[in-house]
Amino acid sequence: MRKENFMEKQKNIIRLSNLLLDSLDELKKAKSQQIQSMMEDFSIRCSNATKDSHLFRVAVEKGWLIGAENIRSRISRNINDFSYYLQTFKQLINADETSLPKLSDIYAELLQAEQEFGDIKFDLKEKTLSITTEPITLEDIPLGPFEVSLSIGRINNLYSDSPYRIIALEPNPASCNEEVTHPHVSDETLCEGEGHVPIRAALEQGRFCDFFTMIVNLLQTYNPSSPYVSLDDWSGICCYDCGSTVDNESVYSCYSCGNEFCECCTSYCHSCDETICLGCGTECPNCGELVCHKCLIECSECGSRLCRCCAEEGDLCSECRDIAENSEQQTKTNNEKENKNEEQIKCQNNAAVQPDGVGKTTIHA
Amino acid sequence: MRILFVNNDGGGFADYVTVTEGTTVEQFFTIKMEGRESSDYLIRVNRQPVPKEYVLQDGDRVTITPTKIEGARPVMV
Repeated sequence: MRKENFMEKQKNIIRLSNLLLDSLDELKKAKSQQIQSMMEDFSIRCSNATKDSHLFRVAVEKGWLIGAENIRSRISRNINDFSYYLQTFKQLINADETSLPKLSDIYAELLQAEQEFGDIKFDLKEKTLSITTEPITLEDIPLGPFEVSLSIGRINNLYSDSPYRIIALEPNPASCNEEVTHPHVSDETLCEGEGHVPIRAALEQGRFCDFFTMIVNLLQTYNPSSPYVSLDDWSGICCYDCGSTVDNESVYSCYSCGNEFCECCTSYCHSCDETICLGCGTECPNCGELVCHKCLIECSECGSRLCRCCAEEGDLCSECRDIAENSEQQTKTNNEKENKNEEQIKCQNNAAVQPDGVGKTTIHA
Repeated sequence: MRILFVNNDGGGFADYVTVTEGTTVEQFFTIKMEGRESSDYLIRVNRQPVPKEYVLQDGDRVTITPTKIEGARPVMV
């Protein structure tokens, strides 16, 4: 029975080795196709340069100087793109040719991986090869064990996509982002940093044990200068507004919406003195102070909202109050004018017009 | 004699190198990884851990992998 199990296991490892070898073959083909596509593109660019050269010569010969200038500026633009393109092409074509490993090498890699990490998990249906790390603790924060799952079918997309996922088996994510299960893992994708080149080289060369070893070593290392979420901010409360993590004692609860905020994203209502977040506060159009929605009342004239403090001086906003005051002043001035006029009229009426000769005295000579 | 040297530090290259007879793993590490601490690396010969006094043999496969690899968030351009 034991022997049968052993044989079955060996068969599985050989089957898996074959699958991995096929995927490396696919990867090699993908690289060749990339070179082919770049060469085709290169020849198109060269042919465009020849066409431009011909057009330029014709334009110069015929004295079409504006046309020649247009062609010259087009060539100038293309040359910048061309030099960048040529550099990329050179890197791709000069890269060391990786020879495919032998089946026995891959088999040995898998046996070594089993020796280093315990059981390797092989899902024939999903075509994934996985190992599980020991529980990882960084700076006293337990992050639990992780599964490193390599998708065999995606190895051929190595240059454009990550063919593996990092799955937290007992997740203890950052409080401000549930997708971040490790300072360098977000959405099951590892940011490899300085491991990027050797990890890809290991996969290209079929060194699968080295690949898993480097991933595990990377997960066991913390780089405080460039994490998704710093371990200092791992636990605590996440500010609802800016997303920064604050400890329990430095968090403020908004009286209006009930969410929790950091000090920078909080203020207070200048009318009722309650703590409010910046989103729930509104500037009073009258005095410019921040107030909560509950402390805003409507201007009885224009309907704009103003704070209770300003409303105590009358339920008008400053503009409407100015208008009202101006209008009151105007009415007063008008009334005064009217009164003056009336008085003048009255005076005139009192000095009644007399018939001719009335009031005149005859003076005898 | 020639050995296969797989260096997972930096570029992650694998190549055959020539070493003199009687070179130990410790000496090989000192030559190839000048200025580095061996405690920061996982060293395997023919896929197995070996003592530092192990004398390298022709055709051996030596793998050196850093134990501390720093991840980094990608820079948005």
